[in-house]
Amino acid sequence: MSYEPKIVGFLCNWCSYTGADLAGTSRIQYPPSIRIIRVMCSARIDPTFVIDALAQGADGVLICGCHPGDCHYSEGNYKAMRRFPLLKKLLRSYGVEEERVRQTWVSASEGQRFADVVTDMTERVRALGPSRIHRNLLADVRER
Amino acid sequence: MAQLKIGVYVCNCGTNIAHTVDADSIVETVWKIPDVTIARSYRYMCSNPGQEMIINDIQGLELDRVVVAACSPRMHERTFRNACKSGGINPYLFEMANIREQCSWVHSADRLSATAKALALTKAAISRVRCHEPLDPLTAEMCPSTLVLGAGIAGMTAALELALAGHPVCLVEKTDRLGGNLARLDLTAPYLYSARDVLQERMVRIRQTENISVLLNSQLKSLTGFIGNFTATIANGNPSADEKVLHVGNVVVATGYKEFDAARITHYGYGKLPDVITSFEFERMLRTGRILTKAGKEPRYAAIIHCVGSRNKEFHGYCSRVCCMTALKYAQEIKGAIPECYVSDLYIDMHAFGKGCEDFYKKSSEVKTLFLMYGKNERPVIRKAEPGDDCEMLIEIDEKLSGERIEIPADLVILMVGMEAREDSGEVARLVNISQDKDGWFMESHPKLDPVATTTEGIYIAGTCVAPKDIPDSVAQARAAAGRILGRIAKGKIEIDGVFAEVNEDRCSGCRMCNELCPYSAIEFDETKKRSHVIAAACKACGCCVAACPSGAIKGRHFTDQQIYAQIEGVLA
Repeated sequence: MSYEPKIVGFLCNWCSYTGADLAGTSRIQYPPSIRIIRVMCSARIDPTFVIDALAQGADGVLICGCHPGDCHYSEGNYKAMRRFPLLKKLLRSYGVEEERVRQTWVSASEGQRFADVVTDMTERVRALGPSRIHRNLLADVRER
Repeated sequence: MAQLKIGVYVCNCGTNIAHTVDADSIVETVWKIPDVTIARSYRYMCSNPGQEMIINDIQGLELDRVVVAACSPRMHERTFRNACKSGGINPYLFEMANIREQCSWVHSADRLSATAKALALTKAAISRVRCHEPLDPLTAEMCPSTLVLGAGIAGMTAALELALAGHPVCLVEKTDRLGGNLARLDLTAPYLYSARDVLQERMVRIRQTENISVLLNSQLKSLTGFIGNFTATIANGNPSADEKVLHVGNVVVATGYKEFDAARITHYGYGKLPDVITSFEFERMLRTGRILTKAGKEPRYAAIIHCVGSRNKEFHGYCSRVCCMTALKYAQEIKGAIPECYVSDLYIDMHAFGKGCEDFYKKSSEVKTLFLMYGKNERPVIRKAEPGDDCEMLIEIDEKLSGERIEIPADLVILMVGMEAREDSGEVARLVNISQDKDGWFMESHPKLDPVATTTEGIYIAGTCVAPKDIPDSVAQARAAAGRILGRIAKGKIEIDGVFAEVNEDRCSGCRMCNELCPYSAIEFDETKKRSHVIAAACKACGCCVAACPSGAIKGRHFTDQQIYAQIEGVLA
């Protein structure tokens, strides 16, 4: 059997989670790699959630929020956007490959886009193979 | 952690879930998890027997946590929270796993992986629900005034309905008059009521109703607050006039549509050929009572072209719904006014659904309209006729039913321009904090079950700003929106969800980082204590401050760090 990566998706309730639901109601098929966790806004995504997911064995983490200018809380996605490069920098220092963690925008009407994002990301993570991140990372994170 | 009693319910959703996900195997597996007191699967958990099953188990087995693995929480979270409440536990001691929209429906071909994923999502819900805490809603006053944006048929109807029930309404209109797009029409299909009569009735009643204040040449500038307690700033087109500040409890958005710009389709020569006109220009002609070409002659050949800008990949993929019946109305009106005129009707598909419409179609055939069908991805070509041709223009069309390329004469061509979202719809959506779909139409909270509410509490949508629709549907939506608001006003107070952020003062360092981040200015700083605190009623629970607080002093109720960590652990277990 081919290796099926595990990707944790953090999706904002208003745009992306609804977009993912729309993919469902439209019966758009995508790989079963993704496990979605709903948050109210992408700004709620504490960088430690991402590190925690990787430490717990996720092969990839996907963050989705409303498109810039379209946030239900007017500007939460901009805050999430600004946090992301800092997180990426940190992850690089831990040796996490660039393509394992991705942030993108999916609106409530973009069921197809959500499916495309998951499909694309699954292929990229599959190509990287299982994550090699040491589980000791977990201790570091939960210290907080 | 103290021993819990968790009930887990896996829904089959008929075959929607069961066809792809092995619900019974999930039940079998989760039952072995510590604290899971009962695990069951059932055909429809949302049905009455399904909900009673949960209620009976809560009471009989003394459950203190409930997990339902079923559809999206956006669909039935409220249903099951209410079931928990009926069973006697706090509704927030419940968690849902989305194994339909985000599992069975999107992994239909892979039963094994779909079942494994559904199990992971259910396990995550079980881990999460362990960390749930009982939450109680807050109550706030409901301001009985309503702000209605747009004075077309939908906005006027909503305003009247609310005002006649005894509540103040402010009706804000961007232009200098009431009536919207309907005021540009002559007769309405299929019963041929005059648009003027339909509007006149509304306008007279609006003028006679004391508690409606009408603001023309005005626009919403800002909206702050929350359901029951919004503050709206209205700007007048006149820059020297003061801005009006209103306190309202609810808002109805009924900002309408604009027509497709026919000049975008160059094949039709709109703007170049003088006798190629849009349906709106033809309506104006009908209102003056005479059908004439630009040269002042009665047309001997009239052609009506459907789907201008609609049902086409290049422009709008959707159907504009009203044009087919309006086109048939034109055919009948032209035949009525100029019996010897040949009328051709160039269509893709004839959409004659709805009350009275099929009969109306039949009537148009009886007056000898020539119906010509063209393909969805083709387009008739209009060109100026040569001097010897005995007509002004010639239209070339690949007629689908005969399979032949034919040429028809025309002195007057009417383009049935479709509806599109207004240019300012994006701005309106941002101001009142609602979403738009890919075509720019405002989005419903749920397209079938909650079609006039939006994802922002207290903001309702009605009429053609939601999607193309006819007058009866716009009126019905406007009344539905007004009905929803009257229901909220009747309750007097509003319940505010128990989900909001709170500051642990012992951990707060007083750095004030959160004060700046909050988009609702819901975090205040107590100068004496040197601590920040959240105004619960103003907090919308986005959780931005929770993730940003360097001391970890802010707790996002119902989305706490522990709850999310538990979920992460669960999905990866």
